[in-house]
Amino acid sequence: MNQASLPRACAEVLRRDLTLAWRRRGDIAMPVLYALIVATLFPFALGPEDALLQRIAGGVVLVTVLLAMLLALDAMFRSDIEDGSLEQLVLAPQPLALMLAMKILAHWLTTALPLIVVAPLLAGMLHLPLAVMGVLLLALLMATPMLSLLGAVLVALTAGTRRSGMLLALMLLPLCVPVVIFAAGAVAAAQQGLPWVAPIAWLGAALALALVLAPLACAAALRIALDA
Amino acid sequence: MTPTDAIPLLQARGLSFLRADEPVFGPLDFALHAGELALVEGDNGSGKTTLLRLLAGLLHVGEGELRWRGRGWNRDERAGDVLFLGHQLGLKMDMSPRENLRIAAGLHGTRSGRTAASVLIQVGLAGYEDEPVRRLSAGQKKRAALARLLLLPAVLWLLDEPYANLDRAGIALVNQLLEEHIAGGGAALVTSHGAVSFHGGEPKRIRMHG
Repeated sequence: MNQASLPRACAEVLRRDLTLAWRRRGDIAMPVLYALIVATLFPFALGPEDALLQRIAGGVVLVTVLLAMLLALDAMFRSDIEDGSLEQLVLAPQPLALMLAMKILAHWLTTALPLIVVAPLLAGMLHLPLAVMGVLLLALLMATPMLSLLGAVLVALTAGTRRSGMLLALMLLPLCVPVVIFAAGAVAAAQQGLPWVAPIAWLGAALALALVLAPLACAAALRIALDA
Repeated sequence: MTPTDAIPLLQARGLSFLRADEPVFGPLDFALHAGELALVEGDNGSGKTTLLRLLAGLLHVGEGELRWRGRGWNRDERAGDVLFLGHQLGLKMDMSPRENLRIAAGLHGTRSGRTAASVLIQVGLAGYEDEPVRRLSAGQKKRAALARLLLLPAVLWLLDEPYANLDRAGIALVNQLLEEHIAGGGAALVTSHGAVSFHGGEPKRIRMHG
């Protein structure tokens, strides 16, 4: 008998989700297209005034990226629940929290990473100064995993309910607010030439906490959701 | 018979499950030893699936007591020993049977001497190994799920309607899988409306009241 090893199990779960995402790459493109459209519409609505666009660029890109991520959020466990793979994952002799962490990682890689890649383009269209671009990317690298992790817990909590999209959005809003405040705060500070490390450090601290706790909460929530 | 043989793999005393304070089934009393097959019998809605989901560990024990190998009922004791095959087959439709097995093997490990390729031939999916599961017929999907039983190392099989969607040859296949598993010292709990022809001795019967 070949015992399953933990690293192999993690690798298989990650590989599966990435392969599935790749086979449905149209779904990955959707949030990116959404973000592109929103960022393109802002100058049309507000007028092509350089100073105004520069001032709102950081905030617009951040909010657009986070909203685009929301589009893909409630699909995180949906297909797994429908086809029974989630049951099999829960029953597998592996730590569920770690397996879910892999699923969340796969979700981040397939939805957030493409958005981070196009973020400089979006920011450029809004005339964000090049010097601030690094801070914006750093803020996005901290904020998007936070949203994936918090979102996963909420999706797991609402997994048992029908039409959970509305509930999900309502519950996620208060959790998003601090993330947006700190991320946008860092970008704004950098734009004004002020020190921007503190808000990024706060985001980093929150991310470290979420990385450890969110998969555990997610596992507990999913076990409860299936136990009905 | 040695004393370890005397300890049942699975033992239920006064087991029942409550949904909104209404009992779904039970109280049930049964014991299942290694090398035994139990058929769960009952009408539609009598709680057969619920019983299997409970034994798999997806549902909590409502009332009564369950013991695994004479010890308490906790997840770590049973880890890897139980395999559950329900109405939802747990197959990814966009992946091939081979890829699906690979993931299952990654999570559970494999029996010695078995590979994904060999078990897929055994369940009659030769030639369909790399076809996406969504393109297979309902019976072939079922066979792809049954391949998991052959590949993964588990002592107790919990099979919910394993005969559904299968043709005559498929039904014979399930019976053969069960006979080999029981002969090899495994145990199985099977729900089915159809006639089960089992040649490895008289199966136990668990009758649901409902």
